[in-house]
Amino acid sequence: MKLLEVNNLNTSFSIGVGTVQAVRGISFHVDQGESVGIVGESGSGKSVTMLSVMGLLPNYAAITADSIRFDGREMTQLSPRELRAMHGSEIGMIFQDPMTSLNPLFTVESQLTEPLRIHRNMRKAQARARALELLRQVEIPNPEARLKQYPHELSGGLRQRVMIAIAVACGPKMVIADEPTTALDVTIQAQILDLLNHLKQTTQTSIIMITHDLGVIASMCSRILVMYGGTICEEGTAREIFYAPKHPYTWGLLNSIPRINGDPEEKLIPIKGTPPDMLMPPKGCPFAPRCRYCMPVCREYMPPRTVLSDTHAVSCHLMHPKAPKVAREV
Amino acid sequence: MLKYICKRLLAGVLTMVVLITVAFFMMHAMPGGPFSPSEEKNVPVEVLERIAASYGLDEPVWKQYLSYWNNLLHGDLGISYKTVGTVNEKISGHFPNSAMVGGLAVVFSLLIGIPLGLLAAIHRGKVADMATLAFATIGISVPVFVVSLLLSYLFSAKLNWLPTYGLDSWLCYILPVLCLSLNPIAYIARQTRSSMLEALEQDYVRTARAKGVSELMVVAKHALKNALTPVITYLGPLVAGLLTGSFIVESRFAIPGLGYYFVRSISDRDYTMIMGIVIFYGMFVVICNLISDILLAIVDPRVRLNA
Amino acid sequence: MNNTIPDTQTYASLPDEMFVIGADDTLAEEIARPSITYWQDVWQRFRKDRLALAGLIVILIMTVLCIVMPLVSPYTYDGADYLNMNSGPSLVHPCGTDQLGRDQFIRIMYGARISLSIGFIAAAINFVIGIVYGGLSGYIGGRADMVMMRIVDILSSLPSLLYIVLIMLIFGSNVGSVILALCFTSWIGTARVVRSEVMHLKHSEYVLASRLCGANTWHLLIHHLVPNAMGPIIVSTAFLIPNAIFSEAFLSFLGIGIQAPMASWGSLANAAIPVMQMYPHLMLFPVLAICVTMFSFNFIGDGLRDALDPRLKK
Repeated sequence: MKLLEVNNLNTSFSIGVGTVQAVRGISFHVDQGESVGIVGESGSGKSVTMLSVMGLLPNYAAITADSIRFDGREMTQLSPRELRAMHGSEIGMIFQDPMTSLNPLFTVESQLTEPLRIHRNMRKAQARARALELLRQVEIPNPEARLKQYPHELSGGLRQRVMIAIAVACGPKMVIADEPTTALDVTIQAQILDLLNHLKQTTQTSIIMITHDLGVIASMCSRILVMYGGTICEEGTAREIFYAPKHPYTWGLLNSIPRINGDPEEKLIPIKGTPPDMLMPPKGCPFAPRCRYCMPVCREYMPPRTVLSDTHAVSCHLMHPKAPKVAREV
Repeated sequence: MLKYICKRLLAGVLTMVVLITVAFFMMHAMPGGPFSPSEEKNVPVEVLERIAASYGLDEPVWKQYLSYWNNLLHGDLGISYKTVGTVNEKISGHFPNSAMVGGLAVVFSLLIGIPLGLLAAIHRGKVADMATLAFATIGISVPVFVVSLLLSYLFSAKLNWLPTYGLDSWLCYILPVLCLSLNPIAYIARQTRSSMLEALEQDYVRTARAKGVSELMVVAKHALKNALTPVITYLGPLVAGLLTGSFIVESRFAIPGLGYYFVRSISDRDYTMIMGIVIFYGMFVVICNLISDILLAIVDPRVRLNA
Repeated sequence: MNNTIPDTQTYASLPDEMFVIGADDTLAEEIARPSITYWQDVWQRFRKDRLALAGLIVILIMTVLCIVMPLVSPYTYDGADYLNMNSGPSLVHPCGTDQLGRDQFIRIMYGARISLSIGFIAAAINFVIGIVYGGLSGYIGGRADMVMMRIVDILSSLPSLLYIVLIMLIFGSNVGSVILALCFTSWIGTARVVRSEVMHLKHSEYVLASRLCGANTWHLLIHHLVPNAMGPIIVSTAFLIPNAIFSEAFLSFLGIGIQAPMASWGSLANAAIPVMQMYPHLMLFPVLAICVTMFSFNFIGDGLRDALDPRLKK
């Protein structure tokens, strides 16, 4: 069953010099209990996509969508008040930088009990008991003492656990994790991923994992969306993306991760160049300027979406029957 | 927290010692003492020397310095050389007038300044914001003496609505309080606006919104507490400055306050009076700063660490 | 939107386009916006701020006028015209004359010389002391830094009016002691900014990288500290100028600043108080001069702050 379904989402920001088209007509869905990964470079529009869905962007952002349905409700039709009632109770969010995502002037208890008191009308003592339970659930040792502390007294990993506790406090149907491990040490990253995996298995929550790290996705997600230049260039199950990728950008991403059991002499192949400036996006395929298999048509037209299977779709002119057959170089 | 307060207290005492010492020796470096022949031309030199000796002014400076400390520690600021009465009496007589006007001005500037800054920040780029910024620029750019001249000219001389001098009725307070608070209002409004804008862009505000916190609470709880820390820092010097009286405003509106008597005692070269007011003012500043430091440490737990 | 997905028919009839030409390296590496240096960028943004630009122009005009006018004008600041005492603004005396028949316009120009030079000199001295003190404190660090910062703390908690007035009394009422009084503690803000920038820089990775490449202290200071700390330093200096002018006007208004027959804006305003009701022009012009100057400098300061603050970029 589809929990979240987004159709033709466009988001742009008006800034002094022009309009940044951060997200350009993307559609996707998330099933109940499913975990979906969104991968892409910085500036590919992955965070903006999720913030648009949540309605958390500043008011100079222009968001249009044919529909955004969450749990049978049309989110584009909801009033700010109804939307707020969903935030933190039905959808939880975890952000990238745990150092700045918690308010420095309030205790852990105050910040952790806030969603409980807003959405579940809990009293102070009741919320406190639940908060303790949550801290235990996210495996924070000595939770009684931690409740009274301020964010600056906690390490980055602990703060991220507190963020996770806040996100799952009201038992949400979906958790959006925006690069939850990027700002952490590698060992802590693994712990946080384990924790998220554990939560997913025990609570049947859908998880959307936004990251630029395919390794993180591989350990968590059953389905993957690859974003580039504000569009989805390829989507499929983890299997399809890792073992039968079709888009040259996905190839590039895969070639740039080191493999632990690979040939030590093997070189990583970087994707040359920089992502497009979304103030002036390229006319055709956004990846065309960096693509090794670019064709004249790519510079002129956006590629149409080609459906390869129930789960696998790719937007690339190479899928055209008359296009030359090229294969991923490994 | 206790450790933090002790440290601040110690720093305050040190500041006072330095202040008293510097002020004492500066006073003695001043050309022409209170009873020097150049000042009082009609009095024979011998008489002046006798008067000076009776005040202990013929003794070596270090001895005067020590005896001054001795009196000070007993709570005695000495007697005024040029007017009748002790310095303690003068201060306790004039300070309440200054404190009353100044205290009202502090309350007024906080009550107007903070909401104005908030309004501007929330309606960034709109009319309310533009108007606040324009007002704040005027408040910061126009000197107090110009404001007091303009207001007294307009409301007293031309319209004859408000009295220009004394503190006889509550009407008398309006103009001085307005003059005193214009600059602080402008400063507080600007500061609140800019720190509020900064706070609203922070990640933790986005976290609060993601939790489903209402817009009112996002502003009033999460952002405001952070935005007010610079205002709290400014509060110490502000309270001290306003409560001890402004010479300009007090002389313009004929308020018998401390600021006015301070400048008069300087032109009179009334050593003990100057010293007394300097010490009183210094102590006031130190105490106000201490209070605003403690307030800041209560609001922002990170401050306690950097003590 | 300029992006078009070809419809099925067009798409099917595009066989000629279907051959690989590969990545265009020049296109891929191209940075879409032209690159400009930091200071060009600052100037671009400053120029767009109309108030700041107007402030700058007003100050420039005022500077030129106050240098040139006294040289070409037939009047001097103390030359009395006994036939025209207390006259209102006229063609001969654009701002009128005072009780002694002195030309008010030329006195305001002399006042501008004093106010502007006090402002600029005080700001320059503060700039130098602030950079040296703050730089040393931050660079040496440790115990020396602690002592130097405690001294600054104590100095800054002394009420400014007290020592300004005391200094004026000890050294007499002249431009020099006004500047001395104003410079006594106003460098503290700059020093704190410089110190924190230096501290920050000492621990930043790119300075470490530069050190690893063999850069010496001077190179670090000139190539890293100066460009990075310049923004906040310039802003704090820009706001010092109106403060200095303000304080001078205040002191002269009190009667312990610039002494007659020399004139400053504050003393002109002060002299006009008793006759304000009868000859409002004597009050109007000096006060106007002060306000316009204060506005201009504050606009310039605001404009600089916005232009230099990288967070407001875009």
